[in-house]
Amino acid sequence: MELNAPEIKRIIKDCSLYLCQECGKCSASCPRFLSGREYSPRLLAQKLISQPGDRAYIETAIWECLSCGRCEERCPSNVQFTRFIREMRAILAADQGLMGHQAHDGALHSWMRIMTAPELRQDRLDWLTPDLKTDATSEVAFFSGCAPYFDVFFAGLRVDTLRTARDSIRLLNFLEITPQVLANERCCGHDLLWSGDVENFAALARLNHQEFRDRGVKEIVTACPECFQALGAHLSRVAPGSDLKVTFLLDLVEREVKKGGVSFRPFPRRVTYQDPCRLGRMSGRYQGPRDLMALIPGLDLQEMANHRQGSICCGNSAFLGCDAYSKRVQVERLQQARETGAELIVTACPKCLIHTTCALRDPVRGEPWNLEPVGLVSLLAEHIQWSPGETPLRD
Amino acid sequence: MADVNILGIACNWSPYCCYNAAGQAGLALPANFRLLRVMCIGRINQALILRAFEHGADGVIVLECEDADCRYGPGPEVGHTNVARVRQLLRYLGIGQERLVERTFQADQRDAFVAVIHDFAARIADLGPNPANPRQERVA
Ligand code: SF4
Ligand code: SF4
Repeated sequence: MELNAPEIKRIIKDCSLYLCQECGKCSASCPRFLSGREYSPRLLAQKLISQPGDRAYIETAIWECLSCGRCEERCPSNVQFTRFIREMRAILAADQGLMGHQAHDGALHSWMRIMTAPELRQDRLDWLTPDLKTDATSEVAFFSGCAPYFDVFFAGLRVDTLRTARDSIRLLNFLEITPQVLANERCCGHDLLWSGDVENFAALARLNHQEFRDRGVKEIVTACPECFQALGAHLSRVAPGSDLKVTFLLDLVEREVKKGGVSFRPFPRRVTYQDPCRLGRMSGRYQGPRDLMALIPGLDLQEMANHRQGSICCGNSAFLGCDAYSKRVQVERLQQARETGAELIVTACPKCLIHTTCALRDPVRGEPWNLEPVGLVSLLAEHIQWSPGETPLRD
Repeated sequence: MADVNILGIACNWSPYCCYNAAGQAGLALPANFRLLRVMCIGRINQALILRAFEHGADGVIVLECEDADCRYGPGPEVGHTNVARVRQLLRYLGIGQERLVERTFQADQRDAFVAVIHDFAARIADLGPNPANPRQERVA
């Protein structure tokens, strides 16, 4: 397909690229650009509109973007840059088989595509410990996503992605919700969607839709902002008739805690918070996680120089294009975290947890960072309690 | 024999010596066995093994030198770590960990090499095709 084809013109129009004023605010806020990479969202937009013959530049640049959405926050013309990137990747993937540079040699994308096999019968629940209450007839399911797979794949990093999954169920149990945990849920497809592999994303979404239906699931609770986005905003586009309710665990916890009767044990430590891009800029949740942290006595939240709408990416998204520039983004981010004097870097996304841990455990770094990453779900699960004098409703 | 695909991933040194010697001696290997030669098992990663299953392998056997014989250093240990992790992933995926094994050889173990491949091919034939059957990526 030529880059001036009508389908591409449609994307340019739908994503408001024609409204670009070439002000350059996007490039000036882009973490890729700021890390020294020769990549500029402004130039990409301009090239595609006025020099579509420069395929070499355009087709490389499309895969550079982290889809972090920082540029969109500042764009005065409301250009939908991340949607533009997602749709262009789908075209380049379908038309030319381009897939970007997949991190970890594509292992994660591989298992995600393997999961499109309809006959798949997974055996993925060995991490459920006896203290976790689940109920196969519940209409609410906790979606653990790729957590069990990450736990094995990233064993060398010592990043405990299953801790978040277990602590999520602990929190739900504490709030007297006994979810089912599906043995055969598939990956939510987020990374395939953002890698241009829409066909396999749709296959996963339809299989998940069928699985939820077969198991009587009406509501999915997830602790992962990417699953939240993929299942909440994108699943229904490819699985028509889906009336699935998708709930982000921290929203649920916030709602329940506000009803009263619950408090948190003290945790007198200084922490900082990494806003995940899918939770903050894409889902508009900045305050909720902060409100929850504020309920923990003694916890001292110190913000990094860039936070909330201006937060900086953990360095990678959809496991694409991890390179020396990603590392510079991460080191810069950890430097900001260190400047807050925090001992812990709290986040609400398993991918942020993985990427931050990876950067912190870099064997060739000089001095130790004295920072530990931790999931907000775990922090809450480990400190939640009934307030003195309050008892659970049913016990 | 069931219609299954077997892939061997072999180190260039001891295991490939065995394979080469078997060929020179005219010893037959299963017709459904393909060999992928790498300079050292230290070169493999989880992605390489997973990709074999993604593209339709029904069984994968990683053929290594003994730890002490590695020409480069930690090659076979890299193999052990990756095989252990992918076996666990295969179990989660429902493909089954028995479809991935590793075996070590010295350079002069031609006959043992041939026997191991036949044995593995027979076990995979008994198991039948990979149940996850990722056919979207499988070329007919
Ligand atoms: S910030 Fe928006 S208007 Fe400005 S150059 Fe970037 S895309 Fe164009
Ligand atoms: S989404 Fe993020 S990485 Fe992509 S162009 Fe915008 S600021 Fe840069």
